[in-house]
Amino acid sequence: MRVEGWLFLGSAIFFGVADVFYWNLAHDPTGGTALAMAVGLAFLTGFYILYTGRRLPLRPEDDKQGEIEQGTGELGFFSPHSWWPLFVGLAAATAALGVAIGWWLFLIGALALVLAVIGFVFEYYRGHYAH
Amino acid sequence: MTAFQSSEQVRIAAPARYKKGSILADWLSSTDHKIIGHLYLITSFCFFLIAGLMALIIRTQLFEPNLSIVSDQQYNELFTMHGTIMLLLFATPLFVGFANEIMPLQIGAPDVAFPRLNLLSYYMFLFGGLIVTFSFLTPGGSAAFGWYAYSPLTSAFYSPGVGADMWIMGLTLAGLGTILGGVNFVTTIFCMRAPGMTMFRMPIFTWNALLTSILILLAFPVLAAALLVLEIDRKFGALVFEPQSGGAILWQHLFWFFGHPEVYILALPFFGVATEILPVFSRKPLFGYKGLIAATVAIAGLSMTVWAHHMFTTGAVLLPFFSFMTYLIAVPTGVKFFNWLGTIWRGQLTFEAPMLFILGFMIVFLFGGLTGVILASPPLDFAVNGSYFVVAHFHYVLFGTVVFCMFGGFYFWWPKWTGKLLDNRLGVWHFWFVFIGFNTTFLVQHWLGVIGMPRRVPNYPDLPHIATTLNQISTVGAFILGVSNLFFFWNVYKTWKHGERVTEDDPWGFSNSLEWATSCPPPRHNFTSIPRIRSERPAFDLHHPNVRAGRDPAERQAIGAGHH
Amino acid sequence: MSGLAVVTTGCTSNAFTRMGMLPPVTDQGKVTLTLWQGSWIAAWAVGIVVWGGILWAIAFHRKRGDGLPQQVRYNLPIEILYTVLPFIMVGVLFYFTARDENYITKNPAHPNVIVNVIAEQWTWEFQYPQYPVTSSAAAFRHVTEVGAMWSPDAKTQHLPLLVIPENETVRFNLTSLDVIHGFWVVPFEFKRQVIPGFKNRFTVTPDKTGSFIGRCSELCGVYHGRMLFRIRIVTPAQFRSWINGQQAQQDRSGGAQ
Repeated sequence: MRVEGWLFLGSAIFFGVADVFYWNLAHDPTGGTALAMAVGLAFLTGFYILYTGRRLPLRPEDDKQGEIEQGTGELGFFSPHSWWPLFVGLAAATAALGVAIGWWLFLIGALALVLAVIGFVFEYYRGHYAH
Repeated sequence: MTAFQSSEQVRIAAPARYKKGSILADWLSSTDHKIIGHLYLITSFCFFLIAGLMALIIRTQLFEPNLSIVSDQQYNELFTMHGTIMLLLFATPLFVGFANEIMPLQIGAPDVAFPRLNLLSYYMFLFGGLIVTFSFLTPGGSAAFGWYAYSPLTSAFYSPGVGADMWIMGLTLAGLGTILGGVNFVTTIFCMRAPGMTMFRMPIFTWNALLTSILILLAFPVLAAALLVLEIDRKFGALVFEPQSGGAILWQHLFWFFGHPEVYILALPFFGVATEILPVFSRKPLFGYKGLIAATVAIAGLSMTVWAHHMFTTGAVLLPFFSFMTYLIAVPTGVKFFNWLGTIWRGQLTFEAPMLFILGFMIVFLFGGLTGVILASPPLDFAVNGSYFVVAHFHYVLFGTVVFCMFGGFYFWWPKWTGKLLDNRLGVWHFWFVFIGFNTTFLVQHWLGVIGMPRRVPNYPDLPHIATTLNQISTVGAFILGVSNLFFFWNVYKTWKHGERVTEDDPWGFSNSLEWATSCPPPRHNFTSIPRIRSERPAFDLHHPNVRAGRDPAERQAIGAGHH
Repeated sequence: MSGLAVVTTGCTSNAFTRMGMLPPVTDQGKVTLTLWQGSWIAAWAVGIVVWGGILWAIAFHRKRGDGLPQQVRYNLPIEILYTVLPFIMVGVLFYFTARDENYITKNPAHPNVIVNVIAEQWTWEFQYPQYPVTSSAAAFRHVTEVGAMWSPDAKTQHLPLLVIPENETVRFNLTSLDVIHGFWVVPFEFKRQVIPGFKNRFTVTPDKTGSFIGRCSELCGVYHGRMLFRIRIVTPAQFRSWINGQQAQQDRSGGAQ
């Protein structure tokens, strides 16, 4: 995962250099902080990808001679369909609207959001899918 | 080696009858990236039409220097919502829609990494967008402070009314959906590619979708944070964005730190669409694949360091730094342009609708890019910022990129998504109405700005007479643009009712990327079999195995040996 | 495209050479105009080459027969060329920009005339702090020009008047009483945001007399579009006599026009 990791890490380095220049030339705390946060995000992601990737064997998708058969077998679990995203979305929307309109609505939305998120997360660990 | 299953065999397996309403239920609970892509494209296109109607009202109001089609307050609401909807509820979700439809197919994945999160992101966009739009129906009307919402105009004192709060919270929700979409796309591209699909064999659209998603991760949280803090100011009386805290300039920095990457979030995917289409209709490979990737990475990185070129007139930013960075970003953009030119150069060009729209994009975007280089100079920006010159510039780059390439992409991928080709003749009419309408509307606005017409004004009685003529030309152009959509609607309807099903995987004949190696439309998890991937044009290699173009012998041999 | 515009609207050839920009009335504006013209020459040159290339390909590289064209994927020398050339071009543009920007944004220590510009929803106030008004009955301590706020019922608009002398350095100090506004005089080829909580200033040296309209260039609320002002550049002698007249009048009446 070298290309992927360096994409992020390289960005982190670029933002870092830009931030050093920017801070020294402009002394602007807003932009300076925002760029520093960008460095943080890019560095965290890039470092994680490179570090984990180092421990992986050569993945078929990184192999220039990769054969499609190398990807045979189960690729993972793909949810066939789900109503939970709609419920979470409605709850989040209610909460968001509640911030604008009134706290009673926000509380209803927040409660609904908690329930819906729990339902969403545990959808494939309950009932038919329990294991 | 498994035999290649024909698309006929796949279709026979599909159910023949549907209960009423079950298609709707299917779509609303779908975890299929292709269906979610349809949802995104349809919803964002509806927002495009709504914001377009607002534009027509604005242009009608400006037909004469002193009309009163709408009140001053309504006018401010109209341009605020036009900008907000176009940028955040049309163009951004349009990218998510295109990426959903195409990217997993292009890398040979069965779906995205987090299918339910994908649907959730859609709902956050839908509901956030509805909250923003329904703010029109509140007693105080919608937000009226412009899409970039400068403080302290956005404070509870200067913009009372729940419409502004709905604008803030609706955008926060929609923005959160976009962030989650970005997470999904990066993970999919990093972790779910087919064997042999190395990073440097991915199609440029996928590369651009990746870089766009990274920009989303960097920029949208800043917007969300700024919006929420603004809401705290409004609801709880905090003073973060108040003048005495330096809040006015603080908001501008935070907003534009998001706002500039945002316009590249809008541009990059559609550059990717253009890059997919040009080689197909030139019957040549893309020119300078690696250079294009390098240029796009440079654009994405630099886009994070130019934000204050929107703030040159504040007198509060380091002009040389931002001017220099902005000039720099013109270089890779130019490189991309030359790569596109190199792709069509000495090709065998044909001019079906997708190609017309992309050529139109190139012609229009070039001018927008040139005016952008003009604006990169602070002294020149001091003269024309806040005027119609800037309005003209950003419509040339944004409409030129997003809308032209959107329609190009629609005509190109329609058979892949629906199994039917859109009518080409109607497409050609559609293109010319858009091209002529667009240039009539926006070319004269450069001049209007230079002679002194400010943005965001409902009347202009103090301007010389030429301004009235130019405004009238612009309004006529806007209505031509409005009419152009009728060709598209008719085409979609006619194709739906009477269109002929395509039987091949690649009806265009010379397509390159992996989505053209599966049926039109693809099966539920995209591929019944995938061809061997040995270059950046696996579908082309599959369909034209005897074309050799300077590849290394091992590759040539492997392709010649056939596919899986 | 510009030629078409010229023909359809019958503008003078001068406007074409200025690429639409109004004739500047300040020293700084003249510098901006030259930079504008030079930048447009470069822009049109690039445009002609690239549009030319696109149109050439459309005209002469059409499909002929069923063969595939040469499947060229890259050409390193050309790619390097079209990366390096734009670098050089933007380098040149940046040099001239930086040079002109330093000139335009200079604020000399002792300007001849100082004007305090106060922006508020939705009108302007202009104070001349060097010219006191001595009467204790006066509403202001210095010569002040106040505008009437526009209302939908107003039959005519009473726009506040700003008077400055030519050939003298005039410094504008910009303050806002409420939200962000923008101080824009088109023939200055210059504007600056008026930001509450942030003192902005700039200096110009007018070099032509005349009467112009100034505008607010930053959305500031409902009547943003109505927030105009008049600006008159006069000879220094006319300026001094106008100031004296204003001082006398505001001494007497305690009010300002």
